[in-house]
Amino acid sequence: MALMQISEPGQAPAPHQRKRAVGIDLGTSNSLVASFRNGSVQTLPDLDGRHLLPSVVHYGEQGQMLLGNAALAVAGEDAENTLMSIKRLMGRSYRDVAQADVLSPYTLVDCGEDMVKLKTRVGDISPVQVSAEILKTLAERAVETLGGELDGAVITVPAYFDDAQRQATKDAAQIAGLKVLRLLNEPTAAAVAYGLDEREEGAVAVFDLGGGTFDISVLQMQKGVFEVLATGGDSALGGDDFDVEIARWFAGESIATLSAAQRRQLLNACKAAKETFANPELNQVEIEVLGQSKLLTREQLNALLDPLIDRCIRACKRALRDARLSADNILNVVMVGGSTRTLRVRERVAEWFGREPLTSIDPDKVVALGAAQQAEQLVGNRQGDEVLLLDVIPLSLGIETMGGLTEKIIHRNTTIPVAMAQEFTTFKDGQTAMAIHVVQGERELVEDCRSLARFELKGIPPMVAGAARIRVTFQVDADGLLQVAAKEETTGVESQVQVKPAYGLSDGDIADMLKASWASAGEDKEARALREQQVEAEALLQALSAALLADGEALLSEDEQKALLADMEKLHNEREQGTAASIANQIELVGKASETFAERRMNASIKKALAGRRVDDL
Amino acid sequence: MTDFNPTENFFQLLGLPQQFELDQAKLSQSYRQLQQSVHPDRFAAEGERQRLLAVQKSSQINEAFEVLRSPTQRAAYLLKLAGVDSDLSSATFRDTDFLMQQMMLREELSELSSASDPEAALDKFYRELDTAASNQQAAFAGHYQAGDYMAARDVLAKMHFLDKLRHEAEQKEASLLDY
Repeated sequence: MALMQISEPGQAPAPHQRKRAVGIDLGTSNSLVASFRNGSVQTLPDLDGRHLLPSVVHYGEQGQMLLGNAALAVAGEDAENTLMSIKRLMGRSYRDVAQADVLSPYTLVDCGEDMVKLKTRVGDISPVQVSAEILKTLAERAVETLGGELDGAVITVPAYFDDAQRQATKDAAQIAGLKVLRLLNEPTAAAVAYGLDEREEGAVAVFDLGGGTFDISVLQMQKGVFEVLATGGDSALGGDDFDVEIARWFAGESIATLSAAQRRQLLNACKAAKETFANPELNQVEIEVLGQSKLLTREQLNALLDPLIDRCIRACKRALRDARLSADNILNVVMVGGSTRTLRVRERVAEWFGREPLTSIDPDKVVALGAAQQAEQLVGNRQGDEVLLLDVIPLSLGIETMGGLTEKIIHRNTTIPVAMAQEFTTFKDGQTAMAIHVVQGERELVEDCRSLARFELKGIPPMVAGAARIRVTFQVDADGLLQVAAKEETTGVESQVQVKPAYGLSDGDIADMLKASWASAGEDKEARALREQQVEAEALLQALSAALLADGEALLSEDEQKALLADMEKLHNEREQGTAASIANQIELVGKASETFAERRMNASIKKALAGRRVDDL
Repeated sequence: MTDFNPTENFFQLLGLPQQFELDQAKLSQSYRQLQQSVHPDRFAAEGERQRLLAVQKSSQINEAFEVLRSPTQRAAYLLKLAGVDSDLSSATFRDTDFLMQQMMLREELSELSSASDPEAALDKFYRELDTAASNQQAAFAGHYQAGDYMAARDVLAKMHFLDKLRHEAEQKEASLLDY
């Protein structure tokens, strides 16, 4: 049995098994999946050889679903049931998006405080479900191409995404059945794809203008660590807005009277005109749509786009200020996102940064390629040349205090993971509960920030006002997701609170969506649960075996090693013969049994890191 | 082996001498090396407990780095380690030069919006703040090294004042430049 080998010193370990890991760029207009194949990272095409999957889902009359190009093909004739650009709805309430989205052909459903939904003929659909369908399609493509189940995925998100948007993305991955190794910021992924981590050390700006979002990130590369110094941007600004500007110019006032299908036609025509202008030779384009025809010159186009590009430049300015750098400190500017093909954007960026931006990698693929590279490393296929990507939290986290004001607890651009604690007290005698409202944003008034969660701390022992000392800890993990724990310090009463963003999905919602996705896949729930636990058990056993091989001798006594191995062997047997529940149970037991080992390994690596530094200094 | 001690102070954690003067390059180097070994990404393929532990350790190292690299936070932390009451409300300002400087800076800040070139005026203001801050930092280092913690605490209060001004300037900048 493979497992026993690790207890026999000197015996060769099981041959290294290559894992299947992918990078996924879940984009506003298009999505991609990439993986490491034949010595390099590549985006994976579908059966027709197309790499980009339009992020579009169509719900048909017979309940059938179309994805990507097939969905796009029917968008003109059935706009209301063709969901596109849904990334900008992720983790958003109706109030957030209703104004910015007046030109969407589909109908939004106001769900109050909860995430907005989309009205279709098959019912109200959550943006998370639509994203899950796109992820599932890409995952299936990867499984076929790579020849087996995936071990993990890195999914990219705009650096500017807040907690609710990140959580929504992670929920979508869960519904699609993907194991998320990391939510990675898109600009960071792009810089990795350009191999800037292997070039000269210094500051890099990543200018990422996609269909619906704009991100600017300033990164610093030094000695194998890629650190995000600052991020900024606008999560509601992108190439789609360019199309809308052109459409407004074309149709004038009458734009409000167009039907959904007409709007779609108009926007498509404007988008096509914009793309034609990517040819530097052309100076004017005739737009013909809705029985009208108008001539657009490059000068007019530039004048239409400049106010939008100005917004990008202002965000760049701010990001550089946050990073305490000036434009001439930037060694490289990386261009990402299809909208950076617009020549006016390149011109203005080159002018402002005082250098030509990098454009050699396809701006649509660069993020997925970088994500695949990182996935390859995180899943454990690459060793030795590891790059560490340190991200920051894009928006401050705070709580509501008296008078509707926010008190910031974790500031914008703080490196994550991060934990901060804050002490609160009671203001009434005998008070046993306390309401806490967590918000995210930079503004001083709570109503101007995003409400992330409201929760109540209960079971505070009754004391006189001001005597209780309640320590609330905010923990943000490497994906930028928040958890809150609270503890009454004088008595030690503890309460763990899992913060689910108010705009997110409840665990019940996710369970329902999972069930729905099984039903549509014709899958048996029990079988799927069992398979998931088996995969989980296998991953844990592999990780522990590798850890024992590396550090078992040094960090554990012989008895400790034996005890842990015995538990692992039980899990191994359970995995072969057990039920989903019994495997889960044994996973929990092995997890507990390996706690001391985990702690010692962490301490050992800290010591080693510092020892390494001291040796370097000599 | 001896276990890592979670109560050990931030200077020890990052392998640096406990003093105000700081070798920024050394701080960054230790920080990167520590994160290389404990960041959750290093344990992405491992069990949940190992990952959770990594999140905690990594957070702790981030916190230490944040505190040490900010001169004001580093100064406050040093005084805390020395057992000095961190309540600055009793700090006294008999330093009329500093008060004058504060008044002038405040005036300058309030007039920024009406400047003909607000951006250039802001840049100048930031430069003045930088100079004022490095003077106070030098003063803090002197008092701290001499063991005069009370005097050091008065300087820390001034450092806080300057930080507050900077924060206000940044907010003004945001509204001025329409971020």
